[in-house]
Amino acid sequence: MKNFFESAPLLIGVPFLVIGLAGALIAILVGMAPERPQPAAEYAGAGGASGGMIRVSAHPGPAEYVMVGVVLAVITALEVAIYYVDITALLVPALLVLSATKFILVVAFFMHLRFDSQLFTSLFTGGMVLAVAVFIVVLATLGASLR
Amino acid sequence: MQQAAAVPAPHALETTTGLDNRKLLMWLFLASDCLFFGSLIAAYLLYRDRNTVGPYPKDLYDIPFTSVSSFVLLMSSVSMVLALAAIQRGDVRSLRIWLTATALLGLTFLSGQAFEFTEFWDKGLSLRANLFGSTFFVLTGFHGTHVAIGVLILGSIVVRSLQGRIKQEDSMNVELAGLYWHFVDIVWIVIFTLVYLITPR
Repeated sequence: MKNFFESAPLLIGVPFLVIGLAGALIAILVGMAPERPQPAAEYAGAGGASGGMIRVSAHPGPAEYVMVGVVLAVITALEVAIYYVDITALLVPALLVLSATKFILVVAFFMHLRFDSQLFTSLFTGGMVLAVAVFIVVLATLGASLR
Repeated sequence: MQQAAAVPAPHALETTTGLDNRKLLMWLFLASDCLFFGSLIAAYLLYRDRNTVGPYPKDLYDIPFTSVSSFVLLMSSVSMVLALAAIQRGDVRSLRIWLTATALLGLTFLSGQAFEFTEFWDKGLSLRANLFGSTFFVLTGFHGTHVAIGVLILGSIVVRSLQGRIKQEDSMNVELAGLYWHFVDIVWIVIFTLVYLITPR
């Protein structure tokens, strides 16, 4: 891992593996979404079929939010524990995967992307993927190292 | 337990997309903010190890302390989403309690950051000391500024609720503030890992 940025397969493979895993997790979470409101039906107006009421898609309740919070706390504790364990070769990948998991949990549940319109997911994912792509290209081009 | 709420629809929500334009704009802003923080994190990783003079990251970082700060910010996200759940069921009192808790947790995080900055400053790190100092303070400073703005937004919602100007049908205001707050949290999740944990020792 010391020569991470000197190894082309690692340099290209690991970031894309992380992005791929993140994408797969998002896809799974989106696929498991209970019901996505159609844009036209989400905000039916006063004359709409819903009689002027908005049907807010099923969001988790307080118990689920607290449960997600507990999972986030446990993952954070795990990250710190891993930091102090001498697993040099696996440290960076392990921390990146745990961090990505926390990121996805907050975005999917607390920011409700799992339950909201696909358009919001597309907008945010677009910005994030662009940022990560620019980030990797800049670091790889200018020869930064994570370790 | 799943909960579905039905609230009156203001005419302003009859948009061409069928979605609330304010929420659409907030997501667009957050997507652009990804690029903003991405550039700052990239600059930090690029210049962190290119110092001819100290202090260096390994001399300064206090992982247990920063872990507690990270935990505090994570828990503020939980209280924020509980505030949203409260207003969506029309419970304004619980909204105030959870929003105040979120703001206090945010202030605790900021206090920790101020303490950390002071410690680093005392050990010789400044914006001009070396490239590590420049990129570290710019990155974490901008994140702290985002948190401070979030605390002000939360405070303003608490004040408006005390004035009776936040009701169940205004839950979108709380949801937008929540999206901003959670984004600040996920940025810190990335910073905590890339800046603090994955660092040369």
